Amino acid sequence: MTRIKLCGLTREEDIKIANDLKPEYVGFVFYDKSFRNLTKAQAKKLKGLLDPQIKAVGVFVDVPVNEIKELFAENIIDVAQLHGHENEAYIKELKANNIPVIKTFQADLPESILLAEKSSADMIMFDTGKGGGVQIKNLESLTQLKRPFILAGGLDPENVSKAIEIAKPYGVDVSSGIETDKLKDTYKMKQFVKAVREDKKMADSKGRFGVHGGQYIPETLMNAVIELEKAYNHYKDDPEFNRELTDLLNNYAGRPSLLYYAKKMTEDLGGAKIYLKREDLNHTGSHKINNVLGQALLAKKMGKTRLIAETGAGQHGVATATAAALLGMECVVFMGKEDTERQALNVYRMRLLGAEVIPVTSGTATLKDAVSEAMREWTSRIDDTHYCLGSVMGPHPFPTIVRDFQAVISKEIKEQILEKEGKLPNAVIACVGGGSNAMGTFYNFIEDKDVRLIGCEAAGRGIDTFETAATVNTGRVGIFHGMKSYFCQDEYGQIAPVYSISAGLDYPGIGPEHAYLHDIGRAEYVPVTDDEAVEAFEYLSKTEGIIPAIESAHAIAYARKLAPTMKKDQIIVVTVSGRGDKDCAAIARYRGEDIHE
Amino acid sequence: MSNIAEAFNNKKAFIPFITCGDPDLETTKRIVIELEKNGADLIELGIPFSDPTAEGPVIQGANIRALSNKITTDDIFAMVKELRNTVKIPLVFMTYANVVFSYGMDKFFAKCKEIGMDGIILPDVPFEEKGEFDAVAQEYDIDFISMIAPTSEDRIDKIASEAKGFIYIVSSLGVTGTRTEFNSDIASLVKRVRMNTKVPCAVGFGISNPEQAAKMAGISDGAIIGSAIVKLVEKYKSDAPAVVGEFAKSIKEAYHAS
Repeated sequence: MTRIKLCGLTREEDIKIANDLKPEYVGFVFYDKSFRNLTKAQAKKLKGLLDPQIKAVGVFVDVPVNEIKELFAENIIDVAQLHGHENEAYIKELKANNIPVIKTFQADLPESILLAEKSSADMIMFDTGKGGGVQIKNLESLTQLKRPFILAGGLDPENVSKAIEIAKPYGVDVSSGIETDKLKDTYKMKQFVKAVREDKKMADSKGRFGVHGGQYIPETLMNAVIELEKAYNHYKDDPEFNRELTDLLNNYAGRPSLLYYAKKMTEDLGGAKIYLKREDLNHTGSHKINNVLGQALLAKKMGKTRLIAETGAGQHGVATATAAALLGMECVVFMGKEDTERQALNVYRMRLLGAEVIPVTSGTATLKDAVSEAMREWTSRIDDTHYCLGSVMGPHPFPTIVRDFQAVISKEIKEQILEKEGKLPNAVIACVGGGSNAMGTFYNFIEDKDVRLIGCEAAGRGIDTFETAATVNTGRVGIFHGMKSYFCQDEYGQIAPVYSISAGLDYPGIGPEHAYLHDIGRAEYVPVTDDEAVEAFEYLSKTEGIIPAIESAHAIAYARKLAPTMKKDQIIVVTVSGRGDKDCAAIARYRGEDIHE
Repeated sequence: MSNIAEAFNNKKAFIPFITCGDPDLETTKRIVIELEKNGADLIELGIPFSDPTAEGPVIQGANIRALSNKITTDDIFAMVKELRNTVKIPLVFMTYANVVFSYGMDKFFAKCKEIGMDGIILPDVPFEEKGEFDAVAQEYDIDFISMIAPTSEDRIDKIASEAKGFIYIVSSLGVTGTRTEFNSDIASLVKRVRMNTKVPCAVGFGISNPEQAAKMAGISDGAIIGSAIVKLVEKYKSDAPAVVGEFAKSIKEAYHAS
């Protein structure tokens, strides 16, 4: 459990609230340059009102040591916290008088960690910022620390859970984060304590990525996802299962996919060397087959005979229909009515493969509604049916399962680039809707901190318009489709209708692991508009003779911006998640040309 | 004893559901008053959500109609506050996790208490995720109602033993909406629930007429009717209150006859 210190209390009412909230510590400031400064008499009165279970910490900056001894002897403080230049001799003298000592260090000074580790203080505190909010970079360095510490500086009710998640401190200290107009704010104090104690309440929840993820689904489906998790945990390490899956990936889907050096594009942009990860060359024309073969095989082992799936652009639907045909399973695909119209070719392909395609008319008749309808269908038929979810989203264990099956993309990129270049890329780029090809592209690079991970969100007509699907850039944390993550929504939590030219990125949410990578600053999520994507679609076709899916064109578009800003010896890998045949008619229409297939 | 327990005190409860703001809040108010007058023991008030994944087409439609009228959570709080001047039976909200989460958990439940709500049902918050909601709801004396489904099996014991208010027993697989038959063994579900708790249990999902309601209430502590009522509201619009009142009366008569 993370301890809490509410610091800088000055009024009797602050103490009353603290008594209710029961933090482990409260802080009294004895520093006349602070507006929170207390006289001895004031502090004595407050201490008299304080619940004896809560320890009072006196906060000092280079005072004569006797002042502290006096306050301690009179039972006005229980602990001394030193904020100045107090040296080891000073600390030892306090300790000799049985006064517990907390010594504060500045987290942004490189020598702090070493000094803190050696300090003879009973507890150390790290101050991460000078009022400018919590700096994630500073928090990460704290994980090197080999002794428990209290985290302080810039914490507030909003950021404290994230800070705890990253820095894993013994305790947290807050003062200005629970104030309004320089006075303690009851509501903020409550929210802060609640946010810290949250850990405990979430103990039953599974599949968390920071605060994101979880299993927000009807009770009727709970045993189905529990059964799926058990089966997955069993088969993922089963040699026979892995042999079968690898055989399908290599001899049916055509893996490994090429890592192609885009020489003309590189020369044209005149910056970083660009490689394309050619997922468009997989059987069925996109990365979706990686996940589908894994899930279909898993479903078959679980004794399921029927696959249901949602689809946006139709690529996941086609992949699912393909796997169902191959493995002799029944298949039903839910697709937004609007998408069945803009991706008519894929509807025909699914039917040709023996799947039933159900156009969904509810809501905005796009991908989000297709997911809702597939979930409803699964609720009514669980025994023989597996819901083959197509992205790193939904309730646990889906985000993990789909990520693991797509991680083959980054595994191959790593091997291929080391072979070709002898070093890792400087950046990997992929488009993000729910985020499966991006998660696959990022996953094996997460620990390689020098590799930038860049996800390209569909900005539609721009992130300052209502016609956008850029979830990280315009959304906020919410709960929908089984997970906690970022969602485009209105002030009352109604899910917003989103828009993108790309049916595959036209989704109001993003997978929970992406939300987490964003929170901790490990991955960047950039918006790319329809116009930029269409230009990139045409650019790659003309420059490299590769027609990318309009989804993948979002990643190409950003690479065009980024490459010229980088040096010639730097490397970018862009994942071309799918091929663009399916988009040709729609792009022609976008350019004002009506073609009939 | 929570206020909700009153609804089950020495009687089989009839629990109607309506979506607030369909066709408008004025009609919703009149329906609630008619329902109480005609014997409803507890009312579930639906706060509309854009994407109600546990609902069949009928209640989905009501959600969309209400939202296209621009009904907000605050409008509904204001309506309940006014209703509480006359309506005395327990009232619970039924909505989706994001409506509560996005409003601010603390603010939402504080408001619930202030306007006199007694409980909350969130069909997309199962046992494993209830902690973050229930902890706040409890602070404001709002009962977090748990659901048990035919697929719950071994989960029944733990869900039941932590249940508050009443337990919502889902009659069959699938989403809300009328059904002609119920294939699961509801009686044995109820039996297993009762081995773990004294909290009453009511059966819902698919119950559409007085005979079915009386039968389900007979093997449990009450019946919940949603889609059948929402259909009446859809059909009769602002004339719905009287029709829904008549329907409620016929349910209670069927209870007494059996």
